[in-house]
Amino acid sequence: MKVGSSARDGPSGSLIVTALTLVVLIASALSAGLYLRTRVVSLLHVSETIRSARSSAFGMLRGQLDEETGIRGFVASGNREYLEPYYAALPMVPADASNLRKRIAELGIPEGPALVDRASALNRAWLALAAGTAEGKRPADGGVLQARAKTMVDGFRAAMANLDTALDRRYVAADADLYAAIERTGLLFGGLILLVAAGTILFGTSQNRAARALEASRALSEEQRREAMRLRIAYETEKHIADTLQDGFAQRPLPTHPSLRFSAMYVPAEEENKVGGDWYDALELPGDRVLFVIGDVAGHGIEAAVGMNRARQALMSSALVDTDPADILTRVNAELLRNSAPMVTGVVGYADAQTYEFVYASAGHPPPILIEPGRAPRMLEIGGVPLGVVPSGAFRTRRVQSVPGAILVLYTDGAVEHSRDVIEGERTLLAAIGSIDTDRATEPAAAIHRAVFAGRTAGDDVAILTVGFSVAPSTGMRVSADRANAEFAARSASPQGAIESAQPSLRIIRRKAS
Amino acid sequence: MSDLRVIALHGELDIARRDEARFALRADGDVGAVLLDFADVTYADSTILSTLLVFTREMGIRGVPVAILVGTPQLARIVQYAGLSDILPVFNERSDALTHLSEGRR
Repeated sequence: MKVGSSARDGPSGSLIVTALTLVVLIASALSAGLYLRTRVVSLLHVSETIRSARSSAFGMLRGQLDEETGIRGFVASGNREYLEPYYAALPMVPADASNLRKRIAELGIPEGPALVDRASALNRAWLALAAGTAEGKRPADGGVLQARAKTMVDGFRAAMANLDTALDRRYVAADADLYAAIERTGLLFGGLILLVAAGTILFGTSQNRAARALEASRALSEEQRREAMRLRIAYETEKHIADTLQDGFAQRPLPTHPSLRFSAMYVPAEEENKVGGDWYDALELPGDRVLFVIGDVAGHGIEAAVGMNRARQALMSSALVDTDPADILTRVNAELLRNSAPMVTGVVGYADAQTYEFVYASAGHPPPILIEPGRAPRMLEIGGVPLGVVPSGAFRTRRVQSVPGAILVLYTDGAVEHSRDVIEGERTLLAAIGSIDTDRATEPAAAIHRAVFAGRTAGDDVAILTVGFSVAPSTGMRVSADRANAEFAARSASPQGAIESAQPSLRIIRRKAS
Repeated sequence: MSDLRVIALHGELDIARRDEARFALRADGDVGAVLLDFADVTYADSTILSTLLVFTREMGIRGVPVAILVGTPQLARIVQYAGLSDILPVFNERSDALTHLSEGRR
C-alpha cells in the first residue's frame, strides 16, 4: 500500500511542477502578449501622430498654395474673387504650423522644429512680399518680385519635403521596433519550446492579436501613403495650372536680329475684371525672316488666359509647319474649332529682312499700321474672320513691299477702342504714331502707348508690337537702302491714298441666297 | 409659313451686355429669315462679335438667311475688322436688307 501511496505522491509532485511550469508559462505568455500589445499600441500611436503631423504639413502646403494661386489669379485676371482662397488660407497656415510643432515634439524628431520654423518664416516673408499685390497695388517690377517669391516658395517646399522624409523615417523606426520586439519574444519562447504547450494557445492568441493589430497599422500606413499620394497629385495639378497661367503671361523675349528691330508693350487694364487675353510673339524663321504674331482672345479673366495659351501654342506650332500666313490661320482656326475654344482675333506674318517685305494675314483683327520714312503712317488692308468660330475663315495673305527704316505697328483693340468710338480711336492712334520720332525712339511701342494714353487710363488691355527694318548701317548698304526707298517712292501711286483705309467705308454686299 | 425675325440691339454692346445679346441672338423656333437691326449700335466688343458669329453659324447650318443692318461708321468699321462682310450680307439701308431677305426666302 506504501508503494501505492508513494506511487500516488510521484504523479502529484510532477503535477505540481507541471502546474507551476504552466503557471509560469501562462504568466510569461500573458506578459509577452501584453508586452507585444503595448508595442503595437505604441506603434499605432506613433502612426496616428505621424498622420496628424502629415495632415498639418499638407495643410501648410495647401495654405501656401492657396495663397499663391489666389495672388496669381488676382494678378492674372484683376478679379478679387481669386483672393478668397488667399484670405482663407492666411489664418490656416500658422494654425497648422502650431499643430505640426506639437506633433513633431511628441514624435521626437530632432530636425523637425527647425524645418517647421524655416517653412513658417519663408511663408511669412512671402506673404510680406505678396501683401502689396493683394491690396491692389500692381508690383513695380513683376520679374524681380516673381524671382524672389519663387526662391522663397521653393525654400518652403524644400523644408516641407525634408520634414515629410523625417516623418517617413520616424515611422520606419517605430515599425522596426515592433519587429524587434516580436523577435525577442519569439527567441525567449524558442528556448522553452517543450513547456510552451499550454502557453502557445494564449501566446498564439496574443500573437494573432498582435498580427491583426500590425496588419491594421500596415493598412493604416498604406492608406496614409495613398492619401499622401492623392494630396501630392492634387497639389501638383493645381501648381501646374497656376504655373501654366503664369507662364502664359510671361512674354517671351523678342528676338535680336542684325537688320530687324522689335519693340513691344503690354499694359493690362486698370480696371478689375478687365484683364483679357492679349499677347504678342516674335520668332526667328529660316531665310532671314522673323515671324510676328499679335492676338486677342475674346472675354476676360482665367478663361481668356487659358484660351490665349491655347491659341498661342496653336499659332506657334502651325507656323513651324506652314510658311504662308493664311495657311497658318486656316490651320489654327480648324484646331480652335475642334477644341471649342473662345474666339480669337489676330494678325500673323513675317518680315523679310532681305526683300524689305511684310507678309501677313489677318483674322478679324484691327489693321496693322505701316510707318515709312517721309510718309504719313497708313493702315494696311485687313479681312478674314476671327479664329475659332466659323469653319471657313476666308483668310488672305497680303504682301507689302516696304523700305529700310520702315516700322510695322501691330496692336490690339484696346489701342483704338478706349473711347468706344473706333473712328476717333483710329484717328488718335494714327496721330500718335505720326508724332513719334521713329529715328530716335528706341522703344517705339512704349512711345506709341505714351502718345495715345497721355494722361488717360485704358479700359481694356493694350498690347503693341513693332517690327522694323533697320536703316542700313554701312555706306554700301545705305546706297542700296536709298535705292529701295527711291524704288518704293516710284511705285507708290497716290501719296494721298496713304490713309485711305483709315476712313470708314461701308462695304455693301448684296449676295443672293441661292 | 415661316416669318422674318427682326432682332434689334441698341447703343454700346460690350461684355456687360453679353447675356442680353445671347438671349436676343438665340437660334430657336421656326424662322424664315433674320434681320439683325444694329442701325444705332455704335460699339460692339469681341464677346458680342463672338456671340454674333456663333449665331450666324447656327443659322447658316439651318439654311436661314441672315442680313445685318449697320447704321453708324463706328460699327461699320468694327464689322470690317471682324471680316463679317466676307461671310454676311451687310447693309446700311433697311429697305435694301429687307429686299435681300425677301428674295432669299423664296
